[in-house]
Amino acid sequence: MKNKLQIDSTQTFNAPLLFFIICSAQIGVGVHGFQSIIYKEAKQDAWISIIISFIAAHFIVFIIFKTLELYESNDIYGIVLDLFGGNLGNLINLTYIVYCGVAYFAIIQNYTDVINTWVFPGLSSSFITITLLITVSYAFTGGLRVMIGVCFFSFFLSLWILIVLLFPIEYANSNYLLPVLDNDFISLLKGAYSMTLTIVGFEIINVMYPYVKEKNKAQKFVHFGLLFTLAFYLFVMLVTLTFFSGEQLEKTIWATLSLFSIVHLPFLERIELITVCYWMMIILPNLCFFAWSAYRGVSRIINITDKKFIVIFSLFVFIGSLIVEKRFEINTFNNYFGYYAFYIVFVYPVFLYFIAFIKKKVFKRQVRKE
Amino acid sequence: MFFGKKNKKTLLKKQTEDLTPPSQKNMDEKQSTPSTGEGNPQTDDRIPISDSTEVFINDVKEQIHSPADLVIRYVTDSITILYIDNLVKEDILNTKILPVLQNMQDATPSGIHNQLPLPQVNVVDRLDQSIDMMLTGAVIVHVAGHALVTIVIIPARESRGLSAPENESQVIGAQVGFNESLSTNISLIRRYILSKNLSNEKLKVGNQTNTAISIIYIAGVATEQNVNTVRQRIQALDIETLIDSAELAELIDDSSMSIFPQMLLTERPDRFCDGILGGKIGILVDGSSMGILCPYSFIEFFQSREDKNLRWPIATFVRWLRFAAIFISIFFTPLYVASLTFHYEVIPQPLLVPLSESRAKVPFPPILEALFLELIMELLREAGARLPTKIGQTIGIVGGIVLGTAAVEAGITSNILIIIVALCALSSFITPSYTMGNVIRLLRFPIIILAGFWGYYGIMLAFCILVIHLLRQTSLGAPYMAPFYPPRLKDLGDSIIRLPYPFIIRKSSNARVENPDYSKMRVNLKGDKKEVKK
Repeated sequence: MKNKLQIDSTQTFNAPLLFFIICSAQIGVGVHGFQSIIYKEAKQDAWISIIISFIAAHFIVFIIFKTLELYESNDIYGIVLDLFGGNLGNLINLTYIVYCGVAYFAIIQNYTDVINTWVFPGLSSSFITITLLITVSYAFTGGLRVMIGVCFFSFFLSLWILIVLLFPIEYANSNYLLPVLDNDFISLLKGAYSMTLTIVGFEIINVMYPYVKEKNKAQKFVHFGLLFTLAFYLFVMLVTLTFFSGEQLEKTIWATLSLFSIVHLPFLERIELITVCYWMMIILPNLCFFAWSAYRGVSRIINITDKKFIVIFSLFVFIGSLIVEKRFEINTFNNYFGYYAFYIVFVYPVFLYFIAFIKKKVFKRQVRKE
Repeated sequence: MFFGKKNKKTLLKKQTEDLTPPSQKNMDEKQSTPSTGEGNPQTDDRIPISDSTEVFINDVKEQIHSPADLVIRYVTDSITILYIDNLVKEDILNTKILPVLQNMQDATPSGIHNQLPLPQVNVVDRLDQSIDMMLTGAVIVHVAGHALVTIVIIPARESRGLSAPENESQVIGAQVGFNESLSTNISLIRRYILSKNLSNEKLKVGNQTNTAISIIYIAGVATEQNVNTVRQRIQALDIETLIDSAELAELIDDSSMSIFPQMLLTERPDRFCDGILGGKIGILVDGSSMGILCPYSFIEFFQSREDKNLRWPIATFVRWLRFAAIFISIFFTPLYVASLTFHYEVIPQPLLVPLSESRAKVPFPPILEALFLELIMELLREAGARLPTKIGQTIGIVGGIVLGTAAVEAGITSNILIIIVALCALSSFITPSYTMGNVIRLLRFPIIILAGFWGYYGIMLAFCILVIHLLRQTSLGAPYMAPFYPPRLKDLGDSIIRLPYPFIIRKSSNARVENPDYSKMRVNLKGDKKEVKK
């Protein structure tokens, strides 16, 4: 196989770290308000939609690993180049790179929007974008080891947020969940589809696979990671569904933040102000990994150093942020991005596996004939 | 001297090939007497020794610019001795050397070498080498008609006696600190570690100062790779002067640009020995009372030697206290500034009332108020460190009572901020390493400014950059954030908590063990060692 990646043993990391990578790549800015989006489709059965979406995610991870295992040590870019040749392969890779770039952009936009709405109405969104870009670039230039470190710390340092989520349980009304399975299966599926924005992130394994030291253990930890995120999302969703009545939830854009805001401690109120700012730590791994995925792809097309890449990449994102500004535009943008992400994350790997599988079969047959 | 990172690396790589293995080198060092002048940059200009006494004396005078303390004594017609006053032990010279020389018939350099009842006597045929030895405390014996000299090494180095370590005091544990003499410090270490594997490599640094440096480690416990790295980095130094080990630590650490120290400076021999027993590499510099330990991870800077002398629950509690202290010290004042400037709504009403009451008279925004007080705190600390101890107490009174109360009464600062700033200062002094304590104190200032401009968002920005920065650091190539990242479960037992000894495998994997038997060893409560199943 051509395009095989040669990775130095100092660059690889241990498979258990994949658990943290998957968790922190998935959990991001979507947690702030994914509830109402799903509720619109699946009503009180929104939690079932989450489970459905995660079953799909597990299946996709399974497919991705099947594809990657056909090639010994290669990422999705190399596989595409092998299957479709130089020009067409590069074009297909470009769509994946653009997806990573747009995802990066979407995260920054949504976060800026939350900061502007909840904490600093006056703070210039360009300022937030620039500071985030600088922070991510600093982590990015440290290399993959530093980025995984950021995700590792982000995971452990953020566990306290789970404790904050325990407070609203006091006001939970489990009747809001009933009747179970009142909605038809189509609306459940639609709900699962609207999870796309929140669930994406695990596709990082497409690019990260060659860097895992123990490749045979990798898949296990990816599934564990997915299970943890499933548990987290389910927990948040159940707390939200039992706390808000249906009409309330439909009108709430950021349900999680509203949950935070009811917590009162003797020395602290309005915890959501702190969590919103703290969320920077949580979105940092997302941003790093998307930038890195894009970089891996770009470095296949043109020869570029990581420092040059991140400067150009940040410049693109910054210019993009000047164009999309208002909440209204961000919603439309999110809808389009969800659509795009659905095809890249859930459809594309299946398609790729199909082609790779057939090619392998044909190739084997040819060898046998010779 | 101040080469960039890349240069450093390439330089180090080049030297890897022509390095002699350390064991062989050790042998060489042990056979030769100390300070033979090897590795000395001046060895290139070899000047032979003249057989005429007059010419020889002139040569020596010319080389060292005839200092006033050069003593030249004609013992007999043919024998002349030269030494630097106060650098040699006078009583040995008078009782052991002079009588022998005076009674000698047909003296030859090798004859003198055989007859002197002293351990360190050499015959040398090079002028530069003999002068170097004379400068470290030797007597040159010249015999007319011979192009060789006998060197008798009897150094009398002035040093103060051993005293308790002042900067790293502890309640339970040994009360002795390093002093400025390299040989005393090595003898202190040898008293703790009687192992035959204790290696001591000598190097010289500084074209002018010719400072002696000892690299101390336990062969088989410290990794070969780490020892080579340290040796290469020291040998690669091309500097004129080296006075203190702190300079050396900054010169040879991984990233000189970082605010965080990557090597520990300690004046405690027990902490030093603890480090080298755990596979770290120690460096001692002659004339400095601080030893360097590397590789050192971030968390280890917050561990004190005393933790090992306390019962484990207490030691664990103290460690947690330290982590709380770091957090308080870095983030408390910024949080105050951010909350009072932008986020009033975070503070509950019962707490907000006393806060705003105390701030009612203050005419400044919180950021100026905080910076002002923190600056006073730093001034007090610096003044206290520089002043003679007798006046030092006055500063405490001036700072604490006069400035503190008066500033509040005058309405320049609020009471609560004084409490917070005092708390932050107190917390920063908890750190067991003074160099790290300084870093913690300094980090506060940029974060206060960020907090004053952008509230919690600014603090979070600083926090993220701090985490990334720490993750980017390495110490001697080992990750700085170990054992958290990369996660090493075995080492976690002696990091944020201190497990009871039977549970601790007493080896940090930062210094992975080469000798497999040693790594299997675990200390049993009963005192005997048992094999641990892998």
